[in-house]
Amino acid sequence: MKHIRNFCIIAHIDHGKSTLADRLLVTTGTLTEREMKFQQVLDDMELEQERGITIKLHAIKMEYGARDGKRYTLNLIDTPGHVDFTYEVSRSIAACEGAVLVVDASQGVEAQTISNLYLAIDSGLEIIPVINKIDLPHAMVDTVKQQIIDLLGCKEEEIILASAKANIGITELLEAIVSRVPPPSGIIDAPPRALIFDSLFDVYRGAIAYIKMVDGSLTEGEKVFFHYSGNSYEVEEIGVLEMQRFRTKSISAGEVGYLIAGVRELHEIKVGDTVMSSANAASEPLPGYKVVKPMVFAGVFPTNSEQFEELRNSLAKLHMNDASLFYEPETSTALGFGFRCGFLGLLHMEIIQERLDREYKQEIITTVPTVEFRVTKTNKEIVMVDNPALMPPVGEIEFIEEPYVQAQIITPTEYIGNIMRLCMERRGIFKNTTYIDPTRADLRFELPLAEIIFDFYDKLKSSTRGYASLDYEFLEYRESDLVKLDILLNAESVDALSTIVHREKSYEYGKKLCEKLRKLIPRQMFEIAIQAAIGGKIIARNTISPMRKNVIAKCYGGDISRKRKLLEKQKEGKKRMKQVGSVEIPQEAFLAVLSMED
Amino acid sequence: MSSLYFHIPFCERKCIYCDFYSIETLSPIEEFLSALKIEIALQEQFHGEKFETIFFGGGTPSLLSPPQLENIFNLIYKHFSISRNAEITVECNPETVDKEKLTAYRSLGVNRLSFGVQSFFEDDLQFLSRIHNSQKAKEAIRLAHKADFENVNLDLIFALPNQTQERWKQNLEQAIELEPAHISAYSLIVEQNTPLNRLVSTNQVTMLSNETDATMYEMTMEFLEKKGFEHYEVSNYGKKNFHCQHNKNYWNHTNYLSFGPSAHSFWQNGISKRWWNIANLSTYTQKLFDNQLPIAGEETLSAEQLFEETIMLGLRSEGFDLEKVKSNFGIDFLTQHYELIPELLSNDFIFFEKNILRLTRKGFLLCEEIVQRLLSKVTA
Repeated sequence: MKHIRNFCIIAHIDHGKSTLADRLLVTTGTLTEREMKFQQVLDDMELEQERGITIKLHAIKMEYGARDGKRYTLNLIDTPGHVDFTYEVSRSIAACEGAVLVVDASQGVEAQTISNLYLAIDSGLEIIPVINKIDLPHAMVDTVKQQIIDLLGCKEEEIILASAKANIGITELLEAIVSRVPPPSGIIDAPPRALIFDSLFDVYRGAIAYIKMVDGSLTEGEKVFFHYSGNSYEVEEIGVLEMQRFRTKSISAGEVGYLIAGVRELHEIKVGDTVMSSANAASEPLPGYKVVKPMVFAGVFPTNSEQFEELRNSLAKLHMNDASLFYEPETSTALGFGFRCGFLGLLHMEIIQERLDREYKQEIITTVPTVEFRVTKTNKEIVMVDNPALMPPVGEIEFIEEPYVQAQIITPTEYIGNIMRLCMERRGIFKNTTYIDPTRADLRFELPLAEIIFDFYDKLKSSTRGYASLDYEFLEYRESDLVKLDILLNAESVDALSTIVHREKSYEYGKKLCEKLRKLIPRQMFEIAIQAAIGGKIIARNTISPMRKNVIAKCYGGDISRKRKLLEKQKEGKKRMKQVGSVEIPQEAFLAVLSMED
Repeated sequence: MSSLYFHIPFCERKCIYCDFYSIETLSPIEEFLSALKIEIALQEQFHGEKFETIFFGGGTPSLLSPPQLENIFNLIYKHFSISRNAEITVECNPETVDKEKLTAYRSLGVNRLSFGVQSFFEDDLQFLSRIHNSQKAKEAIRLAHKADFENVNLDLIFALPNQTQERWKQNLEQAIELEPAHISAYSLIVEQNTPLNRLVSTNQVTMLSNETDATMYEMTMEFLEKKGFEHYEVSNYGKKNFHCQHNKNYWNHTNYLSFGPSAHSFWQNGISKRWWNIANLSTYTQKLFDNQLPIAGEETLSAEQLFEETIMLGLRSEGFDLEKVKSNFGIDFLTQHYELIPELLSNDFIFFEKNILRLTRKGFLLCEEIVQRLLSKVTA
């Protein structure tokens, strides 16, 4: 255990995490130079490479012969870099004893890095600061050094200067990991406890847990149970994570590896859960476990209703690999048959949308995302409502509660005013300000989650020129004065456009939504009245005047085929439209209400 | 009822909006006529068929001298059976005709002339790069009447850039004064690969708004119907008994056999086939000189396609017969549209004439939209 070092890398997108990781793999001989050129090992999904977001956690074991003449086992545990996955990040961090903080020499410390860094510091990890890309012409090594010193309170000589691309500083970093990161502190002869920090679904082996053995050891054939989920299994295969899974038949305290135990479905393996031995159960689970629940809900419908079954299969496959995705069938009068899906957050929703599109080739319409409301009815019955269309009638509602989150925004100080204004508009309660360094502050707000999932990110980005970061955590349910706002087209309600909004904002929102729809719905044969209504009362109205002329008054001669081909194309376009009453609604109308700016 | 079409692919100058196939050199006319002779001979399977209409389109068919036209007629009469009272049309550019030519055409059996007038304003004509002026157009029509043509059509174009309602109205009025039996009033359409398209896409020319275009169209329908013309197709208006039979055949799925580069044919004989010739004169000629038909492509229409065309073409003209749709395609159109039809009726877009479903004047304005709506929901 003395020769094991478990660490993660904390970095902003584009600051060179993947390149640095690959360089460590090559220097330790885990990967050859040639193999590295083919792929950046840690980011193996197309989507991740493009977005620069590591969606799925990975871990990899390296062997390193240090200058002290000893061989060390280094486990690099990857972390996802987004707000929706804060909990997963925290569990990965909990599996480490050290963290390498990578900062781009020309960019400096970015806000998003800081929140993850805080997680690492709070978990007591040893931080090794690295300034990367020092060979670039725009490198501001001294400025960045000062930033890091302000942030960590470290000494200048503790900062490693590196360029992953040019292979500078890599050995120094490996040496620092060996000398500064403490070895794991578990008790080798205690009853076994393993922390599950990630999971993966394998078609042949079922759900596989990625674990860090904290205390004791586990061996194949042993009976184990997962403390929080309560299920028992027999260990079929156990091993460590190299470029592939490497079977070792047992692993012991301090080691990082995988566990195959005939777990059939991914949701049985909960990140943060503790694996224990049935025969020799520990008295306490490892700390920090939380139940991860979907926070954001939206309807997902096939653009072509004939593709419902295909969409169901695609969602089932996605769910198999991502247990945090929730879905169940939903029917909408406007959009037909589809699914109500639950996501961890907005980015998670976007990722699922993109994967459906790119990997599964599904054309879908997603409705306005919503949170889950807790409705107490006059008969004291409590119902959870994750679909505005299913909100009970006003007369049956005693009160409605909505989820609030604790939000942390890290921002350059010059944008504090903008952020305060934004959070005020979003019904936020300002709790605390901490100055991280002379140029940066950490602001804490309590915000209704519903306000965050509605174009808050874009607003935050545009009002801070992209320099602020946002993290949030569920806080509690609080009572709010909420109303259901319906949209009517020629007096027929469009269920997929209903939303739950705060009463004070409902008029403004209704007005904007009507205006937006007026722009998005093309002129049709008849006049279209667009109305926003709360419980039968019209609060905003707009009209789309009928189209004037749509006829091609030309001479086609005998070339009827050309005209028919044109018609066939137009007909396809029509088929993609959704119909409510006699009004045809283009798909974009359902999407574009997501952002109320024009 | 079958039709013959001849595409004469020559123009002195191409008009900026036109995307029909033609070339601006006249020298290969004789060669073309020799090729045409082979083409007619090669279409053996149609020899002996009976035809009720003949149409010479283009291009500019009136560039043909009377002997050249006579030549074609000789071939026609040699191979096909032409009914005694067949409608025989020649499209004319006013600049290319005189008294002698028209008299000669008439004596060859031509009984309908269609003049591309487009506008009576010189600046419009210049903009469209027409070779004639308005005086010449008026003169040509008077000459046609004098040469004993009772059935004369005028082509006009509205929604020209910068055209005012007033100017368009004056065009219609001047046209009426010439007492044509038929008027085709098209709106200016920007087609790909035309000089007009380049002008519009580079913002050198701005097309009229949809609103103005609509008002002009409404006015045209109202004006011409008041003057005793029957509006029998989106752009076509004829005095009673002077509808263009040839064009109507296109819209009724009647058989038509066509000759010349880019010409389209349609023939139903158990199966419904449409084919079209190569749209290039030299390749067309070459093929024929090698004794091969110059066919560029063909399609066999499925029942569904035929049905769709029936609705589309029917609504563009004098409606479609609901009973025939049911017996020919097994589609009960009304029950398929029990929601839309009442709405279209109450909004005055359509009306019934016995079993015929037709567009009203208001309906013509939104013809494409109505066709698309009706067809996007029907399952054959």
